[in-house]
Amino acid sequence: MPVALVIVPVLPGLYWALSPAWGSQVWLALWHEPQWPQALQATLTSALLGSVLAAASAAMLAMLIYPSALWFRMQRHLAVLLSVPHAAFAVGLFFLLAPSGWLARALAPLFGWTSPPDWLSVQDPWGLSLTLALAIKESWFLLWILMALLGEQAVARQMLVARSLGYGRMQIWRAVLWPQLLPRLAWPMAAVLAYGLSVVDMAIVLGPGTPPTLAVLVWHWLTDASPEQQALGAAASLVLLALLVAVGGLASLAWLVHRRQRQRRLPTGQRRPHNPPVWLKLHLPLLGIGYLVVALLVLWSLAGPWFFPALWPQALTLESWRSANWQPFWTTLWLATAASMWCVAATLVWLEWGPQRYNAVLYLPLIVPVLPLVAGQYAALLKLQLDGQAVGVLWSHLLMVLPYTLLTLVGAYRSFDDRLMTSARALGQSRLSACLRVKWPLLQRPIATALAVGFAVSVAQYLPTLFAGGGRFATVTTEAVALSAGGNRRVLAVQALLQVVLPLVGFALAALWPRWNSRHRLGLR
Amino acid sequence: MLHIEHLTVHRGSQRLFENLDLHIAPGEVLTLMGASGSGKSTLLNWLIGALDPAFNASGTLWLNGQRRDALPTELRRIGILFQDDLLFSHMSVGQNLAFALPTDVRGAARRARITQVLADVGLAGFSERDPATLSGGQRARVSLMRALLAEPDALLLDEPFSKLDAVLRGQFRAWVFEHLQRTGIPTLLVTHDPQDAPAGGKVMDICQWQQMLS
Repeated sequence: MPVALVIVPVLPGLYWALSPAWGSQVWLALWHEPQWPQALQATLTSALLGSVLAAASAAMLAMLIYPSALWFRMQRHLAVLLSVPHAAFAVGLFFLLAPSGWLARALAPLFGWTSPPDWLSVQDPWGLSLTLALAIKESWFLLWILMALLGEQAVARQMLVARSLGYGRMQIWRAVLWPQLLPRLAWPMAAVLAYGLSVVDMAIVLGPGTPPTLAVLVWHWLTDASPEQQALGAAASLVLLALLVAVGGLASLAWLVHRRQRQRRLPTGQRRPHNPPVWLKLHLPLLGIGYLVVALLVLWSLAGPWFFPALWPQALTLESWRSANWQPFWTTLWLATAASMWCVAATLVWLEWGPQRYNAVLYLPLIVPVLPLVAGQYAALLKLQLDGQAVGVLWSHLLMVLPYTLLTLVGAYRSFDDRLMTSARALGQSRLSACLRVKWPLLQRPIATALAVGFAVSVAQYLPTLFAGGGRFATVTTEAVALSAGGNRRVLAVQALLQVVLPLVGFALAALWPRWNSRHRLGLR
Repeated sequence: MLHIEHLTVHRGSQRLFENLDLHIAPGEVLTLMGASGSGKSTLLNWLIGALDPAFNASGTLWLNGQRRDALPTELRRIGILFQDDLLFSHMSVGQNLAFALPTDVRGAARRARITQVLADVGLAGFSERDPATLSGGQRARVSLMRALLAEPDALLLDEPFSKLDAVLRGQFRAWVFEHLQRTGIPTLLVTHDPQDAPAGGKVMDICQWQQMLS
């Protein structure tokens, strides 16, 4: 089974990678490690506060504008913004917020600054700029999920029915929608938190330096040559996992208590039909900052000389693009193409012949902090002597891409009308040829989307590329993060922008190709 | 009295219906027939105040002498019943009913009213039950009672019988019409099934406002 090939080697790898953490002296050493308290604090702030802020802003926005035409218009913007990879977003936000960034330039005339202000607006020791970045980026993801849930007719109609009973929108959100939606938002929230806990690329760009967040520290330790440091890394990556489980446990407990309290109380029937003012335009900053960030990347990649208080560069030039290093681009292209095609093929085989009961196992990489997983992969690759080789890097991407291709395809695959397959089989086709000639061609649209999603996920991978590649493979993502430490913003902007462009082109192709392919088939459009 | 005056709805250049005029008297159930895709749901959405912004509508809605088409859904006092019962799954049966009950019924009287309503519809003792444990017919009854407890000035029924099986359907239909007659509010029933109309009630076809359209 192609799926087993992706997953099974990780299990012994996890054992090899994490077993150094058994033993009390490792934990004692971790406790006495001077960087530990501050790293833990920065991680807790950025991951917890970031997730809470993301959830709060997504929830607030939904409550303010659903249902309205604006809510449905937002969908298109979200699709674009979601395809901006985390690392590129972090780089763009850096360009915006840094002391010499665009925000300071915009404010300079007001305060008469001629040199960058003395701000700690990025890489602050508390991890607040990282928190902000995670809050914005993940709020888009949560809004996207909310949009999918509210798109279900049963949910949308409950809003309508409750309104026809005389209740205002805010009241309905509290009394009817949230109690039903929150349990379904638990897994997406877990994914957001797990991401925040173990994010390394954004933390390098925007997070504190010395000490960095726990995730960055774990990565340094795990890649250190000395066994003591590796043991520290293993122990600390278990801490990340424990944090996730603890927060998840507390949240479920709070939910149970809340539900118990609500159980016997009768609604009072109090109606407050007056809705919040529509002038609260929270969506403008929340979505606008995404476009601003991408615009800054474009501007920097085209900038000639651009000194501090100036809002615009003195001249625009293609020089940065002409002298750009295209090696990471090509590496990313083949890696992401191979990974997405392999994963979509594996997903199709799995959905057709695999044991569907175990889908949950495949989703695990979405809600488990990525660090222990990557460490496990690396350990397995070391044993197989495949580290630092193309095959190893590709394999390390598969585990991260597979859950997304499965998630994208599973709905369409389940709702496929099986009578078509029965008809094809009745006409004498084998199951495989019926799949090849009937089912999969009919599913070309979701398959194309899954390819694009898988491609985008692979482009955005940072840790697997670094670990499995042993530093020998530079993708646009690893290159952008590596360049963020240096001073050349133009070179950095080019790599970050390439990271934005690749998935966007993928999504555009996924939208156009099935349409072109079925241009003579009205029923497939 | 519900009165729809000169309603014309179009989407872009396509007209759905033109100059639709309807009167429904208190206690009357008017049946509006139409095949699927004929714009029945669009009409209901306009009546309830949830018309998709892609549509353009002109016309007025009068209810008990007041103009209602400019009001938001929550202020129109028009109840709606869909083919799905849409009971709130996180509330008990009693909580679902209490959600609709006006706030001036307070404290013990509130609980007593729920108990009595449930007894009236043959569901005595169901107040604490989870709606998911009820049969389709039972849920449909609770759903209608929820809509009526809010004391609406008019009621819209959107194919409310189409998901029930044949035996249940006849019984439930008779039961609904009996209840509606007692409340004395105008009701618009929209369906594609001629059998859904109450005996002796007025039946109209949505085509008659579409004939002039090609």
